[in-house]
Amino acid sequence: MLKITNLEATVDGQSILKGINLDVKPGEVHAIMGPNGSGKSTLSQVLAGNEDYEVTNGEILLNGKDLCDLSTEERAREGVFLAFQYPVEIAGVSNLQFLKTSLNSIRKHQGLEPIDAVSFMKLAREKAKQVNLDESFLKRGVNEGFSGGEKKRNEIMQMLMLQPKLAILDETDSGLDIDALKTVSEGVNALRSPDRAVIMITHYQRLLDYIVPDYVHVLAKGKIIKSGGKELALELEEKGYGWLGIDDTANA
Amino acid sequence: MSNPKEFPFPPQLLEATNANLPKWLEIIAAKASESLQALSLPTRKTENWKYSSRRLDLEACQPATTTLTLPEDAWLPKDHCAYFTDGVLDSDRSKLPSGGIELIAFSEAEADDIVLIENNMQAYLGDNNYPFTNLNAGKLSDGWLIKIGNKQIIEQPLALVFHNTGAKGSVHPRIIIEAGTLSQATIIEEYTGAAGATALTNAVTQVQLQPEARLTNIRLCMEPESVQHIGLTTVEGKRNSLFESHCVGFGGKLRRHDLVVKLQEEGANTIMNGITITQGEQHFDNHTVIEHVAAHCDSQETYRSMAADESQIVFNGRILIHRDAQKSNANMSNKNLLLSTGAEIDTKPELEIYADDVKCAHGATIGQLDKEALFYLVSRGIGKEEAASMLSMGFINELVQRIPVDDLKSIVLERINRFLKETFAQSK
Repeated sequence: MLKITNLEATVDGQSILKGINLDVKPGEVHAIMGPNGSGKSTLSQVLAGNEDYEVTNGEILLNGKDLCDLSTEERAREGVFLAFQYPVEIAGVSNLQFLKTSLNSIRKHQGLEPIDAVSFMKLAREKAKQVNLDESFLKRGVNEGFSGGEKKRNEIMQMLMLQPKLAILDETDSGLDIDALKTVSEGVNALRSPDRAVIMITHYQRLLDYIVPDYVHVLAKGKIIKSGGKELALELEEKGYGWLGIDDTANA
Repeated sequence: MSNPKEFPFPPQLLEATNANLPKWLEIIAAKASESLQALSLPTRKTENWKYSSRRLDLEACQPATTTLTLPEDAWLPKDHCAYFTDGVLDSDRSKLPSGGIELIAFSEAEADDIVLIENNMQAYLGDNNYPFTNLNAGKLSDGWLIKIGNKQIIEQPLALVFHNTGAKGSVHPRIIIEAGTLSQATIIEEYTGAAGATALTNAVTQVQLQPEARLTNIRLCMEPESVQHIGLTTVEGKRNSLFESHCVGFGGKLRRHDLVVKLQEEGANTIMNGITITQGEQHFDNHTVIEHVAAHCDSQETYRSMAADESQIVFNGRILIHRDAQKSNANMSNKNLLLSTGAEIDTKPELEIYADDVKCAHGATIGQLDKEALFYLVSRGIGKEEAASMLSMGFINELVQRIPVDDLKSIVLERINRFLKETFAQSK
């Protein structure tokens, strides 16, 4: 599904990703862990197509198409979804309007008619309920005045609405209490299917108790330095990154 | 000001108007014309016109010979409206209200009304800060006094539509609104014009609110680009009155609106909302003054603007709190959005406070569309132009939604949507 080969990227001329290789097959969940400053968030932004980041080498193939040739919106329409670490607040644009425009942009790309108002509302209500967001949130401005947990749940709700092929969760667990963590995890698990893939970027092993990954990768200084099964996360939790010869404090 | 005749009004604007005014009005008009001889047009050095004087092109305001038609997006209410073509009441199109609210032509006013009109007409005579108000008085063909009776609650908004066909070169509407004690009404002023008309609309509206009166004034500047618009609205609020205004302005060659609100007695309040939108090489200049003369008055001013392409928007908001105006509460917010690198916005809030126990806040910002917000929308599959359009609408929509007349809300939204489409269609 996703094949990243020798990916290098810079921001403001500074080299952050220094040759990433990653192969994600349909149905798989990959966790990417690593200390602060290792390039985890950069990887997620590069995959989503943030133009502040420049890809200087390598390729990112999604089902054979190089994402680097696609604009941000085209990637989303092809099924890439990034759950933001810091979702943006947008006053004046309601969640409903946002979701509807987004969903219809993707449907249009798939050659589908715009969704009718009744079906849309039904879908939105259903997904809001699934992540324990009150319906009243739908009418509010996008993330406007939402708590940290509500913002993260809103990200998951959007993901459930848009049904992406590849979901990238950028530290979706940060700032969540245990109940919200469970809700969010249930949402992600509900999306898991043989034809979708998930990449989870996280600092902590905690999330992986709820969303069990197939593979765990350790990213340090812009490279994946170790890959393994879910037990690798437990080992990291126990021994810290120092065990892999990474100085965790240097970039913190 | 050292040599007031350095920049005189062009002669075609000073020619007397052939109206059959009663003697008392003729005297005022003559006085105004005389004072104009001594008044100068604003220049770059005129502080409150410094960003806009170069936009003035009065030479261009010549009577047109062709018959010109209404623009398609003009709003024409079906009833409760007074329709003025080039300043003359068009009785066929108008459907005047009956009961509770009266329209009286200045030329037909009697007794006390004459005194009221005289006082208002003389307000700015000879004042170099208001040359166009003098011009308005000098060129008076007739004016209209709108009287809302004491305790009258007029549910249906009254619309005044001023259409400038270009036939006269310049039109000078004059309105006085007298809102009686405990009355409530909504008055809409719509300024429109024939496409391609190179004329001047120079309007003056004077509002008096008696104790406990509530007036909502919606002012729409919808003229085609080629029409130059200069407008002055003055308001005097007595005890516990409320003046609520919604000024919606689309840009043109020259657009200028001065809104001067005096809170004269305790408990007089005002809410002032403004939406200003320009594109191409258009211009719009808002000057507002809120004077807290008495204690315990409240003012809430919110103006938002969007400038696209090479256009220019000016906002100058002054709050003046007099020495006796203790416990004043004044809030002014002016937020501006630049939609292109070639656009210009000049904003200047001014606070002048002579009382020591007041609550005043003001804020002015000029920004561009938030990059992070754009990325967020686009990362969900929404196209760049649509995302930019959504964010811009989000910025202005809050104020559109405050307009209390649904018909107008949709007219304004439609016009903004067209603006956004034109603005973002050109970008990559």
